[in-house]
Amino acid sequence: MLNILVCCANGAGTSLMMKMTTEKVIKSLDIKVGKLHHCSLSEGKSAATQFDVVFCPLNFVSMFKDAEAKGTTVIGLKNVMSQAEMEEKLKASGIPLE
Amino acid sequence: MLREFVEKKHYLFAEGARDWEEAILMSCQSLEADGTVESNYAHDIVDCVRKYGPYIVIMPNVALPHSQEGAVGVNKTAIGFMKLNKPVSFDPDDPEKDAQLFFTLASCNPDQHLNNMMRLSEMLMNEELVEELLEAEGPEDLLKIQEKYLDE
Repeated sequence: MLNILVCCANGAGTSLMMKMTTEKVIKSLDIKVGKLHHCSLSEGKSAATQFDVVFCPLNFVSMFKDAEAKGTTVIGLKNVMSQAEMEEKLKASGIPLE
Repeated sequence: MLREFVEKKHYLFAEGARDWEEAILMSCQSLEADGTVESNYAHDIVDCVRKYGPYIVIMPNVALPHSQEGAVGVNKTAIGFMKLNKPVSFDPDDPEKDAQLFFTLASCNPDQHLNNMMRLSEMLMNEELVEELLEAEGPEDLLKIQEKYLDE
């Protein structure tokens, strides 16, 4: 079971788009997901440690240093609409997808 | 969704913009014209991008100007479309942050907004459709693309 957080500056536009890309990836890789939550950076920074994976636009990755140190996998995306990029980076992260 | 842009006159086709700030102000014009958003909204978006960087360019060529859910000065839930013939740069060091297609988000109703975002996401995941939007020259082209890809 994977708990996934998608996070962007305001939690209303880009993060929603990322959430839809994530839903496609979950289906295509057949990942078992517990929580899939989208939110703003301010909420995400404190919530991130409760998730296994955080997706955010590339320029926000550094905001999640603390969560990363505590074991959360933080994945920055260049193109938040790209299913291919998300799949590739998720696989490359080495996180177990079962 | 493209037909909605045409019917509600939520579109603008323009040659280009001086810089990304001007592009964002322009992208809000069609939403301001019918009171969907007040003029402060465009400036709020500019402030957001200054603060957080060009994250609103969600994929090459495509920007989603927006601030936050329930933003001040947003009276209706809608999306405004703008196409520039000349791309505008959001990050001088990253040409992948250039944008020509703008979908400006206005939301005061979360359910309606989510529905809009789902339709927008389906549209943007269709590469051929996006290619054709980049070639569109006016509202009649939006209707043609709607018929070709989106009408059942």
